[in-house]
Amino acid sequence: MDVLDVVSRKVFVANELGLHARPAARLAREAQKYSARITLLFQEQEVDAKSILDLLTLALGPGCAVELKAQGQDAQLALERLEQLFLNRFEEER
Amino acid sequence: MDRHVLQGIPVSTGVALGRAYFLNRGRGRNIPRQNIPDDDVQNELIRVEQAFSQALAELETIQSRVPTELLEHARIIESHIMMLQDPKLLESAKAYIRDMQLNAEWALEKAVADIEAVFRSIEDVYIRERIQDVRLVAGRVQQHLLGECGNSLRSINTRIILLAHDLSPADTIELEVGKIMAFATVTGGKTSHTGILARAMQIPAIVGVADLEESIQDGQLIIIDGLQGRIIIEPDEEELAGFTDLKYQFEEYQAGINRSSHLPAETIDGYRVKVFANIELLEEVSSVLGNGGEGVGLYRTEYSYLNRMKLPEEEQLLEEYQDLASIMYPSKVVLRTLDVGSDKFMNHFGGLDEANPALGMRAVRFCLHHMDLFRVQLRAILRASVHENISLMFPMVSGLGELRQVKSVLYSVQMELKQQGLPYNPEMPVGIMIELPSAMITADILAAEVDFFSIGTNDLIQYSLGIDRTNSFVSYLYQPLHPALVRMIKYVVDAGHRAGIEVSICGEMAADPYCIPVLMGMHVDCLSMNPQAVPVIKHIIRQATMEECKSLLRDVLASKTVGRNNKLVKDSIFRRHPKELMFYSSLLDEGY
Repeated sequence: MDVLDVVSRKVFVANELGLHARPAARLAREAQKYSARITLLFQEQEVDAKSILDLLTLALGPGCAVELKAQGQDAQLALERLEQLFLNRFEEER
Repeated sequence: MDRHVLQGIPVSTGVALGRAYFLNRGRGRNIPRQNIPDDDVQNELIRVEQAFSQALAELETIQSRVPTELLEHARIIESHIMMLQDPKLLESAKAYIRDMQLNAEWALEKAVADIEAVFRSIEDVYIRERIQDVRLVAGRVQQHLLGECGNSLRSINTRIILLAHDLSPADTIELEVGKIMAFATVTGGKTSHTGILARAMQIPAIVGVADLEESIQDGQLIIIDGLQGRIIIEPDEEELAGFTDLKYQFEEYQAGINRSSHLPAETIDGYRVKVFANIELLEEVSSVLGNGGEGVGLYRTEYSYLNRMKLPEEEQLLEEYQDLASIMYPSKVVLRTLDVGSDKFMNHFGGLDEANPALGMRAVRFCLHHMDLFRVQLRAILRASVHENISLMFPMVSGLGELRQVKSVLYSVQMELKQQGLPYNPEMPVGIMIELPSAMITADILAAEVDFFSIGTNDLIQYSLGIDRTNSFVSYLYQPLHPALVRMIKYVVDAGHRAGIEVSICGEMAADPYCIPVLMGMHVDCLSMNPQAVPVIKHIIRQATMEECKSLLRDVLASKTVGRNNKLVKDSIFRRHPKELMFYSSLLDEGY
């Protein structure tokens, strides 16, 4: 796979409250660990997944389907890890 | 001009003398705007980057020191750190410096304003409100830019009087309680966070001091007079002597009332009143017991519902109520069902667009519309009621129809528990808060179907006089001794007593030394107030005679105006309780 390829995958916001401040902080923090360019695509809006402010401006409610996209050396790895976060609801307790 | 006395709203009593220290000076101030020459651009870029990393280092230090019990704080600080690290904020500020040759302070301000504009269009209220966090974070950076951070609270070795524009959660984490003798803030009112914190720390505090920042320099000697809500800057000999006297007398007085706070609240001529406390957190129980509270007259159950992402589950509520009941046993605990409006539950139920939430979907109305949530809470309260010291109270009931409606829900929950074989106390007392004029006027009808009344004076006053006390244009009308209110409260007490049920007062009136004799004259059974007020109220009752209270009430009932009532009450306090007149401010005071 070429590093210039954009890999993507659909994820689903399963948190009861959607992507509010804490999950957005978790997601951005995780995304920052990768060198790949990572974005979130929702209804024509594409934002930087490494930016908590950008993530918040999407105002993703519970049950939104969004597309995670990544491009770069560790794109595949980044996507897998971020998808995990969505799946386990950003490790919110209770 | 050197006018060295500032006036604010006293929210925690006491007096303190010390050096002023202003936290976060410049929050809410105008940012200087300059255009910079070409060769300064690089310099400004470095400045802004440095300010960001300094603010970040600060927040990380704070984060590492957050005590475990303040997890909520820790989460807020975590998202603040992320915002600081967000490339958007810093890059956008740098772009303004580069492209428009603006100074770093102004560039940062512009960057925040841009983000604010985007957030403003977000429909989700919860997320829209996060702009507050962006502002707080930027404020921290701004202070570094303005060079006002050389003096972190950490570096202070002496005790200080802390002044601030307002106090945010991150600020309060940083506070070393032992170093602070008093608070004063620019913003805030009677019910602000600062007051709650100060009362818990038992230090004096004044809020709403308009010219605080302009009038006081760091390191100046100031007196905080939490009795009268005054700040005296650089006091002269005479003022210092006066302060020393006052402090000594107040401490003497406090020691005295604290010593006798465990004694029953009984008048000289043998009339006994129960003195209970209002609390909203389990942790406050120690302050109830420590101050001589004889029970919890109002447990506000909202806390478990707010500031969190998930509605609490039955087991969690059950545990909370059981803990409270068992710590207080055998003293009484009154659990009030959820008393909030839709505006607090955006996250869970979406927003209602209410023009006037105070007259909208709140309290029992809200619960009746969200039956699942209501039933979960009632189940938890009923299951906890096996501790036989628990009573249940419904807030904001408007009349008999609504009362029967909530009681039928309660009954159906009881049946459900019975079928599941879960124990509860079928004899648990059920009461209502009387806070709407409609409930007040029909108190005789309602009294036949409840076990007790609790008069919520704060709201009763606002609904009766048609004012919002937080509106400074009309707050002067907030007068507990308006003849209408005196009659109303008396009517409710009498109606309750005719039906053979207890009537208590919960609301700030119950904690106001000046109002106590009038309420006593009505034969109220119980007064419930913030825990810190218990010692002084018990003291007032123990110094009073029922004979005098009744005669004062007769005079008050015969009078036609608030002004006369306030004077009658103050004269009587002056005769019987001169010290309280000196040490406590009152709801009756002008300009409250």
